Amino acid sequence: MKPAPFDYFAPTSLEEALDLLDRYGPDARVIAGGQSLVPMLALRLARPEVIVDLNRIPALAGIAEEGSTLRIGAMTRQAMALASPVVREKLPLLHLGLENVGHPPTRARGTLGGSISHADPAAETPMIMLAYRATMVIAGSRGERTVDAGQFTLGTFETCLEEGEILKQIIVESRPDEGTGFAELSRRRGDFAMASAAARIRLDDAGKCVEAHLMIGAVAPVPLRCDAVAQALVGEEPSEACIREVVRLIDLDVFEFDNPEISLAYRRHIAPVLARRALMQSVTRARELRK
Amino acid sequence: MAIGKPVVRVEDERFLRGEGRFTADYTLPFMLEAHILRSPHAHARIGLVGLDEALALKGVHAIFTNVDLPEGLPPIQCRIPTHGDLSPYLQHPLARDTVRYVGEPIAVIVADTRAIAEDAAELIEIEFDPLPAITSPQQATADGAAPIHAPGNLAGRWGFDLGDVAGALKAAAFTASDSFSIQRHSAMPMETRGLLASYDAGRNLLDIYGPTKVVHTNRNMLAAMLGMGEAEIRMIEPDVGGSFGARGEFYPEDYLIPFASIRLKRPVRWIEDRVEHFAAINHSRDCTFDVNVCADKDGIITAFDVKLVTDMGSYIRTHGDVVPSHAAASFPGPYRVRNYRVDAMTVMTNKTPTGTYRAPGMFEANFARERILDRLADKMGIDRAELRSRNLIRPEQMPWHVGTESVKRPTIFDSGDFPLIMDRALQAYGWSAPFEREADGWKRGRGICVLVEPSGLGPFEGVRIEVDQHGKVQIFSGSSNQGQGHETVLAQIASETLTVPMDRIRVRHGDTGIITFGGGTYASRTAIMGGNAVHSASVGVREKALKAVAGKFGIAVEELDLREGAIWHGRKNEPLVTLGGIARMLMPGNQEILTSPSAGNIPDNDGLVVTSYVRGVPSGAAVFAVHMADVLVDPETGETKVERYFVACDVGRQLNPLIVEGQIVGGVVQGLGGAFLEELAYNEDGQLTTGTFADYLMPNVYDAPPITALVFEESPAPTNVLGVKGVGEVGPSGVGATIGNAIANALGAVSGLNKLPLTPERVLHSIGFGGQV
Repeated sequence: MKPAPFDYFAPTSLEEALDLLDRYGPDARVIAGGQSLVPMLALRLARPEVIVDLNRIPALAGIAEEGSTLRIGAMTRQAMALASPVVREKLPLLHLGLENVGHPPTRARGTLGGSISHADPAAETPMIMLAYRATMVIAGSRGERTVDAGQFTLGTFETCLEEGEILKQIIVESRPDEGTGFAELSRRRGDFAMASAAARIRLDDAGKCVEAHLMIGAVAPVPLRCDAVAQALVGEEPSEACIREVVRLIDLDVFEFDNPEISLAYRRHIAPVLARRALMQSVTRARELRK
Repeated sequence: MAIGKPVVRVEDERFLRGEGRFTADYTLPFMLEAHILRSPHAHARIGLVGLDEALALKGVHAIFTNVDLPEGLPPIQCRIPTHGDLSPYLQHPLARDTVRYVGEPIAVIVADTRAIAEDAAELIEIEFDPLPAITSPQQATADGAAPIHAPGNLAGRWGFDLGDVAGALKAAAFTASDSFSIQRHSAMPMETRGLLASYDAGRNLLDIYGPTKVVHTNRNMLAAMLGMGEAEIRMIEPDVGGSFGARGEFYPEDYLIPFASIRLKRPVRWIEDRVEHFAAINHSRDCTFDVNVCADKDGIITAFDVKLVTDMGSYIRTHGDVVPSHAAASFPGPYRVRNYRVDAMTVMTNKTPTGTYRAPGMFEANFARERILDRLADKMGIDRAELRSRNLIRPEQMPWHVGTESVKRPTIFDSGDFPLIMDRALQAYGWSAPFEREADGWKRGRGICVLVEPSGLGPFEGVRIEVDQHGKVQIFSGSSNQGQGHETVLAQIASETLTVPMDRIRVRHGDTGIITFGGGTYASRTAIMGGNAVHSASVGVREKALKAVAGKFGIAVEELDLREGAIWHGRKNEPLVTLGGIARMLMPGNQEILTSPSAGNIPDNDGLVVTSYVRGVPSGAAVFAVHMADVLVDPETGETKVERYFVACDVGRQLNPLIVEGQIVGGVVQGLGGAFLEELAYNEDGQLTTGTFADYLMPNVYDAPPITALVFEESPAPTNVLGVKGVGEVGPSGVGATIGNAIANALGAVSGLNKLPLTPERVLHSIGFGGQV
C-alpha cells in the first residue's frame, strides 16, 4: 500500500496549478481532499506521474452569497459546508445530503469539488447538484467555461473535465420558496448508498405542486432524473396517496447496478420507497413554508 | 483489597497519550524492510520466476523465493490435535509449485524501504498457469472436482453419535429443521500484524519484536524450523492493537522475516498493511449447519441431529480443525439433551486458510441452535424463553458431561445454576412485559439466545514474581496482552495477597526472554490460568517472606502477618520489616544467608522471587450467558436498528467489573459486525471482493446500541482457587442468534434469516421479497 513514485507540486494559485497541468498533460492528476485518490494511489490503482495538490490555493475554497446565488468554491470541505448556516438556510437539500457523506473524519478532508469531479455513482453531492440544476465553473489554461450539472457527470468516474481542466466553482440558485427532501439507504450509515433519492418541490398558495424535481442515485452510472414523476406531480395536491402513485413512474428499467449483496431487484424495490420518503419530506417542508 | 474493584486499566493512560509502543514504532540500526509478494491468483501453477529486473532496482537487497529456503524445510505444523490426519494440507512458508489462494506468499523482497520493495514486487516476472478456482465446499466435494491437494478436498469427516437420535426423531411430537450459514469473516484489529527480526550472527541470537498471543509456542516452532536453540530466540511482544484470536497462528511471515534477517545478517521489519491483512490473516466462521431438532409433547428437547460443513480454505494452519471441533462438541449448548448426532465435514477451497476468531465455533453453533429453537417454540406454540428454560441443565446435574470432545478434550461444564441466571435475566430484561410492536411504521421484535461459552483452556500457565529491595513488585507473565487489560487484573490479584498497592506492581508479559515457559493468551484463559498462577506465586512470596522474617527475628510464622506490604508481629501489632527489606535480606549477596562455594550444594537463595506454574483443567470453566435484544425492522426496506442489547452471565467471580463490562460490551459490538455487516466475500474466480474497509464494513461507534451487561457471581468455578471464569467471548458468542431471532419476531417470519450477515435484502427475503423465503 505504498503509492508508485510520483512528483508532487503544491501550487498556491489557480494559475500556477493550471500551468502545471498544462506542462504535464495526461501524466498529471490533481488532488483535492484525497479521500478517494489517496486509497487509489496506495492500492496503485491510480499511478499518476505528477500530483498537483490544490489544498494550498485559498481562492478555491469558501462559499460566497450574491443575492439568491451561491458560489461554492470547489475546495470547500464537506464538513465546512455541512456546518455552514448559509448552506443550511439557502441550500437545505445540500445540507441533508452532506449528512450522508462519509464520516466526520472523511468530511473534514473531503471537498465538494473533489467528490463531484470523482463522479462516484453512489456519491450524494453530484446528485444534489443535479437536483439543484447547478452550474459548474471549469477553469483551464485557455480560460473558464461553464456547464450545467447535467452535462458535467457523464458516467462512473467520468466527467466532462478535459485534460488540464479543474472544477473551480459550483453556482447554485437558492429557492427559498421550495421544500426539499433526501433519503438514502446504505449498509452502514455514511457508507456508499445502495440507493438514494433527492427531491425539491414548490407548492402554490392552494397547496398544489407547481414545480418538482426528483433524483435517484446509486442505481446507475449517472444519477437519474425522474422527470416523469416530477411532471405528474405538477398541478396535484401531493398527498401521500398521490406520491405513492407517482413514484410508480420511476423508470426502473434504466437501473443498472447489480451486486451479490445488493441486487438490482432490491434497488428497484427500495428506490421508490426512498423517492416517496424524500418527496414526502419535501412536501412537509414546503407546507411549513406556507404557514 | 484489590480483587473485584473497578480499577481503571493501568494500560489506558499510555494508549490515550499516544505513548504505546507498537511493532511499527520499533526501529534498529541498519534495519531493512520487507514486503511479501502474494499470489494474485486463487489457484495456479507457478512457472518461471524472473527476479533480475527487480534485483537490479536500487535499494533492493534480496528477494527470496521457495528455492532459497533450506532444503527439507517442513511445512508449518499444526499444533493442535485434529480429527484425523490433516498433514497433507499443511502450508509451506513460500509457495512451491502451486499457489492455492489469493494472498499466498510467493516471495519476500527486502529493501531499504517498504516503498522500494513494493516497486520491486512489480518488476518480478512470474509465469502463472491459472487453474480453476474452487470457492465453496459444494464445488469442492462435487463429483469430479479437481483436488486442491493430492488426497482430495474433503480433509476430514468425523462426528459424534450420542444416545438414540433416530429413535428420538421417530418418537418426536414436534420437529423443526433448517439450514443455517455463517459467513466468512475474521478479526480486524486496529493494528495489523508486524514483525521486526534482528539476528546477531556473531552470537547466533535472534530477537523478534511483534509476536503475541502464544510467544513461547511460536518461539519453539521457529526454533525447530531454523534449527536453533529455543533460548537462542527471543520473541518480544510490544504493545498490541488487538488480536481477537487471529494473531497467534504461526503464519508464513513468522518464519520468513526471521529467515530474511538471518540470511542478510541485518534487522528486517515487516509491517502488514491493511490490504495484506484481509488476505493474510486467518479467516474464520465460514460454515453451514443443517439442523434437525425434536421435542416431546411436553416441550422437552429430545434430540439434535446436525450436519456441519466447514470451509477450511486452502491449507490447514496451526489451529487445525479446532473451530468446527468446538462447534461440534458444544452444539447442544446449555440444554440437557442426550441424543445428539453431528456429522462434520472439513472441506478445502481456494480461499485464505481459516483459524480461530473470538468465540470460535460457538458464535456459529449458537446461531444455528438458537434460531432453530425459536422455530420449534413457534411450532409448539410456547414462549421462546419458556422452551429454553424447560430444557436447561439443572444445577444438581453439574458437572455436566456433554459426551463430546473438542481437540481431544472432553466437553464438561464445570458448574453453574443455569435456571437461576435465566430467571434473573428474563426478569431484569422484562422479557415477558408487553411491548409496542410498531414504531413509526417499523416493526419491533425481541430476541433471545442462551449459551454456554467455554473458557480457560490450555495446558498450563505460569508467572514469576520478583520483589525488589524497594518493595516494588514485578510480575513476569507467560501469557500475553493484546488489549484485554491483563496488566491491570494480574496486578490486582497480586495486590490482594501481597497487600502492596497497585502502583507498586508492574506486569510484564509476552516475552520469552523474561520467563522460561508460557501458555499464552487464547480461549478467555488469562484470568483463570494467568490469574491463578499470579495468586499462587503471590502466596508463595508471602510464605517466603514470612519464613525469612521468622528465621531472622526468631518469631514463629504463626505470630507473623503480612499487612500493608510489611511483615507485622501479630501479637505486638507492630511492623517488623517491609517486603523490600525482606527482599534485601534474601539477596544472594547477603553474607548471613550466603553459602560458601565449598558447601557444594547451594540452597534456594534467589531473593524474594517465586515462580509458579499452574496446570490447566482439560475442559476449562463454563460461562452461562443469556443474550436478549429489541430490534426495529423497516418492513419496506429491510433496514434494522438495534434498540437495546442485554447480556446476563455468570462469571463466577469478577476480578475487575470495569474490564468485565468492557469485554462484554466490546464483544457484543463485534458480534453485531458479524450479524449485520462483515463478510470476506469471494467471487467465482476466487478473488476476495471485500478487500478494503470500503467493502468490508465494521460496526462503528455511531451505530452501537445501548448495551447492558448484568454480571452474576453465583457459581464460582470449582476448578480454580480464584473461582473465576473467562469473560472474553461471551459478548460476541450469542449476537448472531439473538439478532436473527429478534428480526424474525419483528416480522413474524417463519422462515429465512438463516444466513449471516443479515443484510437488508436478506431481511426482506424472510417476508417473501424477491420470491425468496
